[in-house]
Parts: sequence; structure tokens; C-alpha cells
Amino acid sequence: MIQFDQVTKRYPGGIDALKNLSFTIESGEMAFLAGHSGAGKSTLLKLIAGIERATSGRVMVNGHNLSRLRRSQLPYVRQHIGLVFQDHKILFDRNVFDNTVLPLDIIGFDRREATRRVRAALDKVGLGGKERVMPIRLSGGEQQRLCIARAVVHRPSILLADEPSANLDRAYALDIMELFKSFHQVGVTVVISAHDETLMEDYGRRIIRLREGQFAT
Amino acid sequence: MKHFLFLHLQSARQALHKILRQPFGSLLNLLMLSVALALPLSLYVGINSLQGWLGKLTASPQISLFMETSAEEADIAAVDRTLRGHPRVARYHFVSKAQALADLEKRNALTGLAEGLEGNPLPDAFIVEPRDAEPQALEMLQKELSGLPMVESAQFDADWAKRLYSLLELGRHLTWLLAGVLGVALVLITHNTIRMQILARREEIEVSKLIGATDSFIRRPFLYHAVWQAVLATLIAWGLTEWLVAIAGPAVSQFAQLYNEHVDLHGLRPAELLGVMAVSALLAMLGARLAADHQLRQIESS
Repeated sequence: MIQFDQVTKRYPGGIDALKNLSFTIESGEMAFLAGHSGAGKSTLLKLIAGIERATSGRVMVNGHNLSRLRRSQLPYVRQHIGLVFQDHKILFDRNVFDNTVLPLDIIGFDRREATRRVRAALDKVGLGGKERVMPIRLSGGEQQRLCIARAVVHRPSILLADEPSANLDRAYALDIMELFKSFHQVGVTVVISAHDETLMEDYGRRIIRLREGQFAT
Repeated sequence: MKHFLFLHLQSARQALHKILRQPFGSLLNLLMLSVALALPLSLYVGINSLQGWLGKLTASPQISLFMETSAEEADIAAVDRTLRGHPRVARYHFVSKAQALADLEKRNALTGLAEGLEGNPLPDAFIVEPRDAEPQALEMLQKELSGLPMVESAQFDADWAKRLYSLLELGRHLTWLLAGVLGVALVLITHNTIRMQILARREEIEVSKLIGATDSFIRRPFLYHAVWQAVLATLIAWGLTEWLVAIAGPAVSQFAQLYNEHVDLHGLRPAELLGVMAVSALLAMLGARLAADHQLRQIESS
């Protein structure tokens, strides 16, 4: 479960990215974050992932109060979260397999189980058989799928995606959304930020709309 | 536990591969570290070899008490009685003039030397080992013994030995000083190497942190890299030192033989080599740890 309780995030310079936000996303829920650039979507996702800390208020993720959690404990919370980045954050000096296996290495899976899981994740996102391919040889859509495979390979309880369909054509974007839907169907809490609301509306899920760091009315 | 060991093994293997994948860059680093290690090691080996020889010279200082050539049995017996009861004499032995001549002939291969001389010119002598090896006490005993009746002279020429000993002491201090300074250099060199590596892999570290890598997970390969570097550098430094011993050893032995002495330069013993390796690895790990912690803090705050 993700719970925000009167959360404010202020960046140096006095810019309030989020203002006094309170909401809850239940376990196994799929929710969308909508809003224009600068609305606070990415900041909100960063707060859930513990990448940023709230200036005030309380952020609860899987029972952990991230505002009070020690820095050294944060990695263990992140190990239960899958992150899909808008800019993919793929390591271009490693092949598809090595990129995907990274979360499993971090958690400490043995090689045989890790290999099995990587293959399953790559099959799931449609990159089966491309384990040895270097990311530079993948298309933009395939790179996004690789990023998704890496985000789900360790079977996280929460999956956060920041503009996963940005820079993709509609058909590709729908494919990606279908992938997220399939993860949600197996019980993963999915939070996706996007600014194309038509894409979200097709799924009939909760949409949290943000404007200038607050809920949009 | 099995997984913990697997992670360490994996990091160690990856770090070694990384060194081997960049042979030229790695070699330059290794040579720099090796030279830094070889300097104090060579000095240590030199001092250690000479120390064994000097130990023989100074372990039991001796005073040679030469009797006058005209001394008779009774005079010798009187001196013998004095020495036997002397509180500051640990032990002594008598070397008759005949025995001294025989020794001289034997040592210098001069058989029949006495036949060419008019009698035996050597005096009877007592070789005295003092109880107290302290220089002042030795000098006092030497003066006292030289005043005994029918004693021609009491010789104790320890000055050169003392000077050599002081020189070796200085060398030993210098070794430690050099080891200290170059130990710091080792830490700094490793610090810089690891800092550069972290900067080169910053993106990978950032991504790893985002997906849940702990600091120890990120640090581990860098620490192993530093350990491998230190171990390989120590082995190269050892090779350099052995080479130096092989080159300089014969010359030193030859020089010592001019003084009828036997000095052998010997390299590091296995235990010493392991000790140097362990200390180098620890210092390298310290440098790597400092660099990694500093860089991780910077990445965290950026």
C-alpha cells in the first residue's frame, strides 16, 4: 500500500513540487498520474521510490515510513519496487541479459534461478531470444520493454512507471500499457504517470490528476 | 552464507577480469605501485641481510688482552686468576702464542711461517667476553684490564662496529619512514584509481542505486579491484627485489670477502612476502573505501 499524508516537497529555491497531498493507493491497485509537465508527477513517483524525501508530511510504502527511514535502509525498500524510467536508464555497455539480471544480482539470486527469471521476463516483454543483443541495437520501443523487463524481473510488489509511453507511437504505447495491465492482474500495485489521458481512460482505472503540485479539480 | 560467498567470488572475478581487460592501463598502475613498494622492500632486504652479519659482530663484544712477550707462566696465571673472579667478565679463554701462530698459518695458508722467522713473534693472549655490552662499561673494563701486570695492551676496537651499527639503525628507521610514506602513497594512488573508475561507471552506479543496490554491493567490486592491484603490485615488487638481490648479491659477497667476512643478500621469506601482501591489500582497501564512500556520497547528493 502507498499512503501520502499531507506531503509537501519543496526543492531548493523555494519551488513547491508537491503541496500538502494526501491519498492512498491500495495494494494491487492500478492508478494513473495525469498532468502536464511540471505538475509534480515525477516528483510523486520519486517520493514513492525513496529517490526524494518529502519536505513535510508522511510517505508510507509497504508499511515503511520513508520520511523517517534511515538512508541505509532505503535500498531494501527499493528492492520491492520496480521502476520504469522515461529515459530507460539502460546500461549500454551491457547486453540485454546483463541489464535485466541486475536487480536479481543486487537481491542475490543464484545464477540458475536468475537466468530462468530473466528469460521469463524477456519472453513476457517480447524480447525473448535477444539476451545477447546490445541495447544500442534495440529500437526505442524495445529499449522501453527492456526497461520494463528489468523492473519486473525480481517480481516487485509495486511497479512505478514514469511516462513509459512517451516517445512511442500509439500502437507501441498500447502494447506497453497492456503489459502493465498484465502485471496488475497478477497482484502488482501499478502506478503510471502519463500526460496522454486518452491512453488512461481506455483502462477505466483511477486517475490522479495533478496541477502545480496539487490535485486538479 | 553460500550466496554471500558467491557475491564475493563474483566481485573478485569481475574485478580481476577488469584489470586483465585493460592490460596497458592496469600495467602502468601496477608498475607505479610496484616501484612504490619495491623501494622500502629493497631497503628492508639489504638491512636485514647486513643485520645478520652485524649480529655476529656485536652480539658478544670481546676484549683481546695481549700479554707482553716476556710474560712468564706465573704472570699468565695471575691474570687468569684476576679474570676468573672478575664480576664484569662473563667468560674468557686463553690463546697461547703457539696456538695463535698455528691459527694465523691456517687462516692465511702460510704453512711453515714460523720457520722463516726467528721464533714466534706473537704474544699470549686472553679473549675476554664482558658481562655488560654497554659501550661505557666496555671502555672502563678495557682500561682496567690493560693496567694488569705484564699486560701489553687490551684492545677493543668497537668504534667501526658501532658506526656500522648506527648506520644500520639509521637504515632501519629509513626503511620504516619510507614504508610509511609509500604506504600513504599506496593509499592515495589506489584512492585516485578507484575514484576514476567510479566516475567512469557513475551511470551504472546511479542505476544500481535506483533499483535497490546497497552501498556495500556497489563498493564491493572496487574493493576487490584494489586488493587485486595490491596483490599483483606486491608480486611485481617482490620480483624487482629478487632481481636486485640477484644483481647486487655477488658484489656484496665479494666485497665482504675482502674483509674475510661472509655476507649473503637474501630475498623476502614467504611469511614476509605474505605479510607485505596483506598490509598492501589493507592499505589499498582503505584507499578504495575512502574513494568509494566519498563518491557514493556525491552521487547520493546529486
